Amino acid sequence: MESDISHFEAEMNRGFLQILVLVVLENAMYGYMMLKKFEQMGYAVEENTLYPLLRRLEKKEYIKSEWDVSQGRPKKFYIITDKGKEIRKNVLKIWHEQHKIIDILLEANKNA
Amino acid sequence: MHKKLEAYLEEIDHYLALREGKEEILSEIKSHILEKAEQEFGEITESALEKVIVKYGSAQQVAEKYMDDFQIISPIFKKYLLRYTGILFAFHFGLTIISLIFGLSMLVFPFFYIPRMDTLQALFYIPMTIVFDFGLVGIFLYFVTQKKKEMKLPWLKIHFRVPERHEKKPSRPKIIWLILMLSGFACLIYVFVQYQTLFFLNLNFQEPTSLFNPEASKWYSLALITMLGCAIASYIFRFFTQPEWSNLVRNAVYLLIMGLIINNPIKDAFVDFPYFDLKSLGTAVIVLLTVIFAIGFIKSLIIVWIRTMTK
Repeated sequence: MESDISHFEAEMNRGFLQILVLVVLENAMYGYMMLKKFEQMGYAVEENTLYPLLRRLEKKEYIKSEWDVSQGRPKKFYIITDKGKEIRKNVLKIWHEQHKIIDILLEANKNA
Repeated sequence: MHKKLEAYLEEIDHYLALREGKEEILSEIKSHILEKAEQEFGEITESALEKVIVKYGSAQQVAEKYMDDFQIISPIFKKYLLRYTGILFAFHFGLTIISLIFGLSMLVFPFFYIPRMDTLQALFYIPMTIVFDFGLVGIFLYFVTQKKKEMKLPWLKIHFRVPERHEKKPSRPKIIWLILMLSGFACLIYVFVQYQTLFFLNLNFQEPTSLFNPEASKWYSLALITMLGCAIASYIFRFFTQPEWSNLVRNAVYLLIMGLIINNPIKDAFVDFPYFDLKSLGTAVIVLLTVIFAIGFIKSLIIVWIRTMTK
């Protein structure tokens, strides 16, 4: 049972993490900073999952990056692009629609 | 210099099969690990780094996640890999048998070269052909996958029917045919025992004349009887199972017999006949039959492959 839930969760997280990154990168952030932020919100993300995802999103030009070497250790900062913002708008719309469908169905189940 | 970290990054570098961006990936991982070690353990020590590295995951796992969208062969070509290999192998195998029977070497450019071999060498050569064919198709599909363009490959529709598993047995064997076959077979055996041949130049059973000399008559008649016996056995198998395996074995036996006939020529096998050059006619018939049996063998090999591997 538990492994089934974990499997489900992993599947759902795949899409959710992409949306989350597009939302959180409204302000420039680097990887470790994002992980900490997610952690504070009670959402644990594996670091070896986040970085490849950032690379994929950057390849698609949804986000862009820049190395900051001003504070000793170099850090790679990411921020959402205009293309990313457009995608985010549409994806969030889909996400809200999906939520609505689930809510309607759950309500119908209750009344049945 | 952090030895453990450097070794870890070197290992990731080893597994990362990317054309570009490797340096940047490694720099980012390094930066992350150093920062995490400092934030969570107060200072960057070898033991702190080791703990952070363990949490980050094995080098293989990390490299794999960066190559999620990198495929050697696209999964959509999996069926093509097996189908193309099966078809190529069937031709390769069939041609190897023809080459073995006729004692020839063959070059089918750019696919394969079949050297002249004896039977023992061919037994070792045939398993290698399947590895070679699989590799050849694999290389082809690798290049198609790397092109990254949507490319439709021909499905190489086979112009004969491969029965589906759920279908009822196609053209079920009939008991009446089996009885007729067995009766005919018994008659042939009787004729052979009586006259020591099945090949007659005339139909005068008081004084029959065989097409061949006594040794050749006996040998070729036995070959024919074996082939017919094999055909009947294959027909009987169809009562119990799908015919593809029995057809394959039957065609292999036919080819084996043709190989024995061609590789063991009998001197002056044909009797003198004033109207025809029987030797040339006989050679033409043997070559024709060998080609027909080879085609039948290739066909049944493709059917068996498709039924067992690609469905």
